[in-house]
Amino acid sequence: MTKSCSKTTWVNWGRWLLPLVAFAVVFALARFSAPLYHAPIVQVTALTSSHRQAVVDNFGNHDVTVTQHVTARWLNTKRRGQHVQLTNQYTKSGAVDSPVAKGQQLFVTHGSRTWQVSDHKRDGVVLGLFAMTLTLLLLVMRRRFWLTAASIGLNTLLFWAALHIEVASHQELAFVLFAALAVAFTVATTLFITRWTWLTVVVSTSTILATAAAVLIGYTVFAATGYRGIHLETVKYVTQAPQLLFFVQVIIGSLGAVMDECADIAVALFQLPGPARARFNAGLSIGRNVMGPLIAVLFMLFIAETLTEAVLWLRNGNAISTTVAWVMGLGFAQSLVSAFGIVLAVPLTSGLAAWLAKEVRA
Amino acid sequence: MNAIFLLGLVLLGLMLLVGGAQGISNFLALLANTLLMILAVILMAGGFAPVGVAVVIGLLVLAVTIFMSTSHVQVATTAFVAALLVMAGVVVLVVGGTWLSHTAGFGPEDAEELEGYSLAIGVNFEQIAMASGLLGTLGAIAEAACAVAADVGELGAAATPAALRAVQETIIGTALNTLFFGFFGGFSALFIWFTQLHYPWLQVLNDQLFVGELIQVLFAVIAVALTVPITIWVAKRRA
Repeated sequence: MTKSCSKTTWVNWGRWLLPLVAFAVVFALARFSAPLYHAPIVQVTALTSSHRQAVVDNFGNHDVTVTQHVTARWLNTKRRGQHVQLTNQYTKSGAVDSPVAKGQQLFVTHGSRTWQVSDHKRDGVVLGLFAMTLTLLLLVMRRRFWLTAASIGLNTLLFWAALHIEVASHQELAFVLFAALAVAFTVATTLFITRWTWLTVVVSTSTILATAAAVLIGYTVFAATGYRGIHLETVKYVTQAPQLLFFVQVIIGSLGAVMDECADIAVALFQLPGPARARFNAGLSIGRNVMGPLIAVLFMLFIAETLTEAVLWLRNGNAISTTVAWVMGLGFAQSLVSAFGIVLAVPLTSGLAAWLAKEVRA
Repeated sequence: MNAIFLLGLVLLGLMLLVGGAQGISNFLALLANTLLMILAVILMAGGFAPVGVAVVIGLLVLAVTIFMSTSHVQVATTAFVAALLVMAGVVVLVVGGTWLSHTAGFGPEDAEELEGYSLAIGVNFEQIAMASGLLGTLGAIAEAACAVAADVGELGAAATPAALRAVQETIIGTALNTLFFGFFGGFSALFIWFTQLHYPWLQVLNDQLFVGELIQVLFAVIAVALTVPITIWVAKRRA
């Protein structure tokens, strides 16, 4: 009796190791993926020598540059199995480069005379972490995992299709296309959360209205202030229409948070007895408790991304106020406009759910 | 008037209208988090170890977010204890994951933007990447911990294993949506770049910026998936 009991305990605790096992298996398999690539890949077999040199820049920052001489073995192309000598140069800070170590797999390019390290192979770690995440989610969500995975998979397909249409249309349709995408995202995801009921109508309508209102208010504020303090030229990886991309980022970025909040409130209100007024107030009180942390989720996600660049700016002799305005400014603006949507969704959903729940029952 | 300042004023007005006193408290929490993140940047640039800064500032961010946006003290305390436990685990995950992924610093797509900057600036960009990886998950941890603590508190005596399981599955499901759309929104510009330049998918899979962004979201998803059962456990022990 005690033996079987302790056995189930072991199984119970042992399953929490499965995500780590999944990571290890996928990570190990990806070590053999080099033949799938056209780009030349090598594995470092030895570090032969390295040369260090101290450097000081114009701002008095001390750093060290290192040149590594490396022996590596080809993992693909016609040279597979042969050895090659490489050089890798990096600074100790590692802003755009990094040291290589024995056993690492690297992409290489042919320089003017010798082969040089161009990048790390990252498929193992990213797919491994992906497998680890999926296994963990399967453990904690069980049946609901498949529903959520299907919903996210469908959304990824929609996103992929929209990107290709957008690029094919030379970005002329961008705003209309992404607005339509946001509506499609909302309806598709809501259907997965609520099935097809009156809840679907409440959640998608209030999500779309709240997000649209947030963008409208944001746009009005920008226009009224003449975009003072908003440095749209710092929207990253954009060559044309940075303003458009800024709003696209806000809309898609906040959609999930707003949708979850609307679903939370609407589901609770549909189960609640009593008159519409009481239901509306109950909705407000649920919303008040969730809106703060939801805003924090997006805020931390958006602002954490700016840390690297902000440190670079400060160490390049820029003032704190300049750095905050130029590097973190757009992140703040994005968080604030998203926050409008999260706050506005509370009365919108409460009102709509209180009113419709009465209609449905009558 | 500065546009960001006016955006902040409008948000304060909306929060006051919708949330009353609690709305103001929520607004102050956002303001405090803003100041904490600016302080983190200043400390890291000033030469303090970035991971250490992230842990200390991270504790403060969790405390501010949880205690200032929840009106119920019992709920907030449970959520905070659980969030601290999760954060300890996430530090290990983020440090290991970032180290293995070589995603620190800037990617080749940033080259144009970096022109004219001194890059040999004597800071450890790998540690800064770990710091932002950790800080980026904290909002999600705080949100999930508050949601679970509130739900378990409401269930009270009705907290059967089946009811708790339902709470767990629902909260993780909704948090996944928040994070998934946050990821797509923040990265839509780079995805357009990839599509325009016809990056082959194997190249995207190894691209420094793509991998950096995707593992950031995976860190947050893993953090949430751990937060929910841990918060339930803490709530049961405190009950």
